[in-house]
Amino acid sequence: MTARRLHEEQPAGFAFSEENMARVNQWIAKFPPGRQRSAVISALWIGQEQEGWVTKPMIEEVAKLLDMPYIRVLEVATFYTMFHLKPVGRHHVQVCTTTPCWLRGSDDVVKACKKHISDKPHSVSADGEFSWEEVECLGACVNAPMVLINSDPYEDLTGEKTEEILEAIRRGETPKPGSQIGRHASEPEGGPTTLTERALYDPTLRHSGPSLSDDEAKNVTPGVEQREAPTQKPPGAAT
Amino acid sequence: MPRKLIIDGKEIEAEDNLTLLQACEQAGAEIPRFCYHERLSVAGNCRMCLVEWVGAPKPQASCSLQVKDIFPNKDGTPARINTDSPVVRKAREGVMEFLLINHPLDCPICDQGGECDLQDQAMGYGRAAFHRFHENKRAVEDKYMGPLIKTQMTRCIQCTRCVRFATEIAGVPDLGATGRGEDMEITTYLEKAFSSELSGNVVDLCPVGALTSKPYSYTSRPWELKHTESIDIMDAQGCNIRVDTRGRAVMRILPRLNDDINEEWLHDKGRHIWDGLGRQRLDRPYVRKNGKLVPASWSDAFAVIAARVKATTPDRMAAIVGDLAAAEEIKALKDLMTRLGVPHLDCRQDGAKIGGGPRPAYLFNTTITGVEAADALLLIGCNPRWEAPVLNARIRKAWLNGPLKIASVGAPVDLTYPAEQLGTGVDVLNALADGSHPFAEVLRNAKRPMLILGGGALARPDGAVILHHAARIARETGIIGPAGTPAEGGWIGFNVLHTAASRVAALDLGFLPAPASEESPGGRDVAGIVEGAQKGEINFIYLLGADELPLENMGRPFVVYQGSHGDTGANYADVILPGAAFTEKDGLYANFEGRVQEAQRAVFPPGEAREDWAILRALSDVLGQKLPYDTLADLRRALVADLPQYGRLGQVPVWEGADPAVWNALGTDGVFTADVPMGQAIADYYLTNPIARASKVMADCSRELLHSDENKQAAE
Amino acid sequence: MASVWTYMKMVFGWWNHATYGTLLYTARKGVPVGTDSFGNRYYQTADGKRRWVLYNGTVEGSRVPAEWHLWMHHTVDTPPAADMTKKSWEQDFLPNLSGTEGAYHPKGSLVRGGVRAPATGDYESWSPNA
Repeated sequence: MTARRLHEEQPAGFAFSEENMARVNQWIAKFPPGRQRSAVISALWIGQEQEGWVTKPMIEEVAKLLDMPYIRVLEVATFYTMFHLKPVGRHHVQVCTTTPCWLRGSDDVVKACKKHISDKPHSVSADGEFSWEEVECLGACVNAPMVLINSDPYEDLTGEKTEEILEAIRRGETPKPGSQIGRHASEPEGGPTTLTERALYDPTLRHSGPSLSDDEAKNVTPGVEQREAPTQKPPGAAT
Repeated sequence: MPRKLIIDGKEIEAEDNLTLLQACEQAGAEIPRFCYHERLSVAGNCRMCLVEWVGAPKPQASCSLQVKDIFPNKDGTPARINTDSPVVRKAREGVMEFLLINHPLDCPICDQGGECDLQDQAMGYGRAAFHRFHENKRAVEDKYMGPLIKTQMTRCIQCTRCVRFATEIAGVPDLGATGRGEDMEITTYLEKAFSSELSGNVVDLCPVGALTSKPYSYTSRPWELKHTESIDIMDAQGCNIRVDTRGRAVMRILPRLNDDINEEWLHDKGRHIWDGLGRQRLDRPYVRKNGKLVPASWSDAFAVIAARVKATTPDRMAAIVGDLAAAEEIKALKDLMTRLGVPHLDCRQDGAKIGGGPRPAYLFNTTITGVEAADALLLIGCNPRWEAPVLNARIRKAWLNGPLKIASVGAPVDLTYPAEQLGTGVDVLNALADGSHPFAEVLRNAKRPMLILGGGALARPDGAVILHHAARIARETGIIGPAGTPAEGGWIGFNVLHTAASRVAALDLGFLPAPASEESPGGRDVAGIVEGAQKGEINFIYLLGADELPLENMGRPFVVYQGSHGDTGANYADVILPGAAFTEKDGLYANFEGRVQEAQRAVFPPGEAREDWAILRALSDVLGQKLPYDTLADLRRALVADLPQYGRLGQVPVWEGADPAVWNALGTDGVFTADVPMGQAIADYYLTNPIARASKVMADCSRELLHSDENKQAAE
Repeated sequence: MASVWTYMKMVFGWWNHATYGTLLYTARKGVPVGTDSFGNRYYQTADGKRRWVLYNGTVEGSRVPAEWHLWMHHTVDTPPAADMTKKSWEQDFLPNLSGTEGAYHPKGSLVRGGVRAPATGDYESWSPNA
């Protein structure tokens, strides 16, 4: 990762749309009076949704709105990689390359992005439609590898699947988000294999024996209060 | 509640509001640190202060661990802390290794070399001839932070002291840390200058050479410098400074620790005017011949003055003391003029209507530390941010730490803390005095209210009326309280904020127009002298470093200018006597609190210039009015005989209680010139005196920090 | 008297010019080898074991040019050729200039007539009518 700087070419101005302004105000209202600056991430996020990326006029507008010094907003904008500091395509593809996705073949997904979008991450494709970047874990490791296109996750990908999805989006279609091999959420392929008894989901069928007696409940797992704080040994000291 | 701790085997009792680091220091252990600083908030990000708490699984960052969080052992014995055990050493060596991974090895060309915390601590915790980092070091682009701060950001170890200083102490949140992890960079918002009057302090705070002084860069090494303890005279606060010299030149000025005055801060003018000490210097006497100033010998110059003094009469002579004069030369000039019988003396170049009464009537009585106890503050025609920036930081500190309510009568300026603007009209003082204004209620309800009268109020033509009303407000709202120091429960909140370092000493010595009596109409003040010179009623003026006068429209009186720098005064002078600047003489200065301090000589005056009291002593001989002191010690003895407080250096006068007569008689009742808005005492913070005006650095600051917008417009 | 003094100088004053002893030895044993650009004459014994120079003018070791210096010190066997051409990068040979007008003076030296480099303690004095 290189140092994150504002883009060289900046638009002349920025203003929240009426609807977005209302959302920002909603966020400001969530914090106690005088603490409105806590809404800075939300405000920048809403701004990014509106413009696609975080611009210098946006930073200044947010700073004025929340009564913060410009530098404080700049700090936040440069800290979080989720804020794009330069223009992105209409469809921004975030490819997870953290260990689980990588083990399951995220390299092929990256290759597909390079082929279909552009050689380098963070650069907009020739038609202005796409851009991509590598990101850290997006929290869908069970369905690895996966990408996030704008706000839609696409999971259980392969290189070819990714290309198909990108092609479809380019054609103007909206491929179905989620697992691409027909899994429901993160269930095993072909449906659940455990916890299949109906009684688990139907309270009327549930076993209705006595609950734990008081004595049993008080019987704490042995060893908790006996557990000793580990004594510090100097590293390198004889063990 | 104090807690018992065993630190390095020594049992101590530490207050539980201390941090462990402070407790360790109490026990005599030295804890290395980079990010921790007593006067800043605790960041805890450098990890250098790790200590071992026996029983805890990991070493603890002592700067952010409070004593109250350290619980005793299970058996009730006090917790044991080791600050120099193998665990601690190893942990600190690890931290140091991390810090040095990305720190360049450029100490030989680094200005911080020799006074660098990282260098010093690497001597203790660096692992010599040991490294296992074979990747490229990080390089960071240098940033622009204004004309005073030079950046070499590759050296930065991200302690964030500068960011915390800017946000907390200076109150100008221009600095920040962008990016994160390895890419974290300290910067201003898009190459904007750090526009604080205290910006130079970040250079002192920086534990490495990332922020260094731009004017001082690459000029000398710390071990080459001779240190002289002195007093800053760029404003009237009397900040304690250390003048660093090499040979005959002042190389830099640094603050000294003094909790009563400046803590450890120094404002930019005091810190950076040293290049002005080597420019525009008067280094030989001059005498005007046929309309042109030509170099002359001391005896010729004295002879010319003597001839003119003989040709005129005492009531057509005048003397004015400038802003940078020390008490000794003011006394010498006063004695000389008294012996000659000259009634027209004045020290208030700005025309402030102050002085003549007892000391509390023109002092900053609350004292600088007393400000921290105040809970309501009324500023009248006063912009402390420019008139005394270090005092302003103290007011900000009081505002941050307590329920201080602030209101300001005068031009709305950003004081770095919120102040209720009561407008620029002077009429509001009436409302405040008779209690009809809401803020009068705030003052009356406050336990320790104070007011500060600034030059913007006193230098007005109706300054005496404002002074009268300020005294009225003080009487009405309980600003003047019981006798004694704030610690003893005494309180006096009536303060005058002077901007000239010489002013309090000159007022103490009574360098004021002679009072009117039956035989004489009394002396003229500065305005009277200027008017008299225009009319030709004054034809001899002695200026002791006085450069803020409208000399261009004073007709053609005979002007003797004694001073160190060629400024306005020298240009209009008929005889120039070269004097010494404040670093070149031993001198006593009383700050606005009335605290007398000594500025010591660091270097010798250039060329034929002499110490000012000696010039006056020599001149008095030629004028046939020989002053009765031959040495500085004699002169000081005479001074102390008149004013005993000048023998008690560093002490602040104790408020001895209210004498109603004093406050009733202060100023004159009258009508305000209400159509004139309350102005500011200082037009340009960076250019207030001859030394500052000679300084190139100050000129750069004024251009880049105060007038950058105008420059941009002019360029467009 | 004067003639005795002159005679003494001719016998012992080797620092002024070749002494009678040298001249006699040269006349007896010297085989002339060549002359350099300064006009110094070089000799050697018939067997080439001893080599010496008679200076044309000041007796000053540094007046022996580099190529003759090599020969004099037996670094090379053959004396430099009379028609030896200079390489394009070669500079003219300069004898030691110390004590002469061409002597080296550092920057700022008063002899060089230049302005002294700025130093600590310098100050700009004010001048009237400026």
